[in-house]
Amino acid sequence: MNSLPMFPTDFTDMAGSLIIIVFSFLSLQYAYLLTKKQPDNFLWGFLFYFCMTLAAFAVSRAMGHLVKQVLLISGNTEQWKTLAPLAGGFNTLLMTSLAAVTIYYHKGIEGYRAIEEKAKSLKAANKELQQTGSKLHEMNAHLEEMVENRTKELSASEKKFRNFFINSKDMVYFCDADNRLVNMNASGLEMLGYAFGEPPRLELHNIFYNEDALDAYFEEILTRGFVEDLEVEFKKADGSIIYVLLSANAIHNEDGEFTGCEGIAKDLTRLKTMMAQLAASEKMASIGQMAAGVAHEINTPLGVILGYAQLLKDDFPADTEVGESLKAIERQTKACQKIVFDLLNFSRQSESSREDTSLNKIISEVIAVTEHSLSMDHITIHKSLAPNLDTVTADTEKLRQVFINLINNAHYAMEDMTSGDLYISTRNSNDSKEVIATFRDTGHGMTDAIRQNIFEPFFTTKPVGKGTGLGLSVSYGIIEELEGKIDVESPVIETESGDTTPGTAFHVILPVVPKKQHGITASHSETGRFR
Amino acid sequence: MILFRKIKPKYCLLLLAVFFIFPAHAQALQSHTAPEGLYVHQLAHIFFIAALCYLFWDIRRSSFPEKGWRFLQLFCIFMLLWNIVAFTGHWVGDFILPGDIIQESGYLSARMTAPLTPTKLLYYFTKLDHVFSVPAILCLYLCLRSLYLGAFKSEEEGK
Repeated sequence: MNSLPMFPTDFTDMAGSLIIIVFSFLSLQYAYLLTKKQPDNFLWGFLFYFCMTLAAFAVSRAMGHLVKQVLLISGNTEQWKTLAPLAGGFNTLLMTSLAAVTIYYHKGIEGYRAIEEKAKSLKAANKELQQTGSKLHEMNAHLEEMVENRTKELSASEKKFRNFFINSKDMVYFCDADNRLVNMNASGLEMLGYAFGEPPRLELHNIFYNEDALDAYFEEILTRGFVEDLEVEFKKADGSIIYVLLSANAIHNEDGEFTGCEGIAKDLTRLKTMMAQLAASEKMASIGQMAAGVAHEINTPLGVILGYAQLLKDDFPADTEVGESLKAIERQTKACQKIVFDLLNFSRQSESSREDTSLNKIISEVIAVTEHSLSMDHITIHKSLAPNLDTVTADTEKLRQVFINLINNAHYAMEDMTSGDLYISTRNSNDSKEVIATFRDTGHGMTDAIRQNIFEPFFTTKPVGKGTGLGLSVSYGIIEELEGKIDVESPVIETESGDTTPGTAFHVILPVVPKKQHGITASHSETGRFR
Repeated sequence: MILFRKIKPKYCLLLLAVFFIFPAHAQALQSHTAPEGLYVHQLAHIFFIAALCYLFWDIRRSSFPEKGWRFLQLFCIFMLLWNIVAFTGHWVGDFILPGDIIQESGYLSARMTAPLTPTKLLYYFTKLDHVFSVPAILCLYLCLRSLYLGAFKSEEEGK
C-alpha cells in the first residue's frame, strides 16, 4: 500500500459530529423530562447538568470539526487557522467542565442514596404502619364486636338482676360502708310501710328493732363476711314490728376494703302469727279435751249429789239447820254443774242448735240487757252496726253468751275508771265471706303475757270469787265451734290513722252463710245438733 | 475561611520579603507559549478520563437496579476509549510532518503518503475517534431514555 486516502476520516468526522450533536440534545431532552417528572431526584439533576455540559461540549467540538471540514474543503485554510485555537480552547474548557460535573456526581449520588434510604425507611414505616393499621382495624372490628356482645350480655344480665331486684317479693337492699340504705326494692319499702315514690333516707339502725340483733348482724358481716338466716325484728314506718329472716353479704372493693353490704329479708310475720295461732289452737284443743273429760267425770257425781240433796230437802224443814245446809249443797252443786256446762261448752261438747241469724239483732238484745249496769259505771256504749250485715249460722243463745262475756270483760276493764267508752261495731269483711263484730273498750289494756293466756280455762285477772276464768275460754270454744275465730288486740291500732290507743279490742269473726244455701242451712239448723 | 486561618501572617510577610529581595525572578506575569494549549488540552483529557473512571466505579459500586445505569456504564467505557484515542491522536499528531499528508486537488483528495509507518497508521486510526464517541453518545441516549421510561412506568404504577 503506497498511501491512504484521508477522506474516510473526514467523512467519519463530519457524520460522527452530526450524530453526536443530535443524540446529545436528545439525551438532554430526556434528562430534562426526568428532572421535570421528579424534581426532587438528585440523580436526574446530575444527569441533566451532565447532559447539558456534554451537549455544549458536543456542539463546541462537533461544530468545530464541521466548520473545520467545511473551511478546509472550501479552501479557507487561513480562516480555520484563526478559528482553530478558539475552538480548541472551548473544547478544553467544556471538557474540563464535563469532567468537573462528573466528579460532582458523588454529591448527587449521596443525595440520591440519602433519599433512597429515607424512601426505603419511609416505605418500610408506611408498610409497617399499614400492617399496624390493618391489625388495628381488625382488632377494632373484633373489639367492637366483643364490646357489642359483652354489652348485650351485660344488658341481659343487668335486666335479669334488675327484674329480680324489682319483682322480688322479698326485701332486697344495698347499703354503703356507713350502713346507709342506698337502694331498696319496692317490696322492701312496702314491707316497711314506706312509699316507693319517695324512699326515705334510712340507715340500718332505723329498721332494726333490736340493737343487739343489729350488733350481731354487724359482727357476722365484718368477721365472716355474710349473715345467714338471721331471724330479726324490723321496725316499720308506723312503729309496728315485723319478723324477717335475713341473709346478707359484705361487699368489698378491689383492695379488699369493706364498702357496704347487700341483703335479702323475707317477711315471716304472717308465718310466725300463724304458727302462734296454730300452737294456741293446739293448746286450746288439748285443754278442751281435758276439760271435757273432767266435766264428764264430775257431771255424774254432781248429779247424784244434787239428787240426794233434793231428796233430803223433802225430809227436813227448810228453816232448820239441816235444811239450810241442804240448800247450800244444792246451790253449790248447781254452781258446779254450771261450771261443768261451761267446760263442755268450751270443749264443744254441749248441745247446740243452729239457725240463720243476724249478729246485729243479738248484739242489740245483749246491749239492751247490759246497758243499764254499764251506765251505772259511766261507761258509754257507741254502737255502729252495719245495716246490711250478712247473716250467719249460729246458736243464738251461745252467741248471746259470747257477747255478754265480752261486754262483761270490757265492763270489768273500765270498772275502776271514772268513765269509759265501749265501741261495738259490726261489718262485712272486704271479700264478703265473713262478718266481723268488734268490741273495743278504753280500759288499761293487757300485757303480752295476759294476752297469750286469756282463752285458757280458769285463767282470770279478777280477784277470787269474782270470776271463774271460763268466760273467754267458753266464748273461744263457741266461736271455734261455729268455724269462726276470735282475735284480741291490745293496745288498739286505729285502722285509719295508725295511731295506738290504750284499751282492748275483741274481734269476733264468723263465716257468712252462702246465699244460695240459706234455705238448706236453715232446715239443717233446726235439727242440727253437734257434739 | 479555614484556609485563611491556616495561613499565618508571618509566612506571608516572608514570601513578600523574598519577592523584594529577588525582583528579577518575580512571578507576577507569565507568558504562554505554543505547546501550553496542547498540554492543557491533554491534561483536560486526563482529568476527564479520571472523572469517567470514578463515575464507572461508583455506578458499579452502587449496583443500581435499573437498566439505564448499565448504558451509562457503557457510555463511560466508550468515552474512556475515546479519550485515550483522542489523547493519543493529539500526541501522535506532533510526529506527523507536513509532507506526510498531501493534497493533490483539494482537501478531500488528501492522502497519507508512503511509507505508512506505525506512527502514521496510529495517527490515521486516531482520526477515526468517532468510532468510540458515537457509540458513547448513543449509550448515553439509551441510558436517559431507559431511565425516563422507568420513572414514567413507576409513576404510573404508583398511581
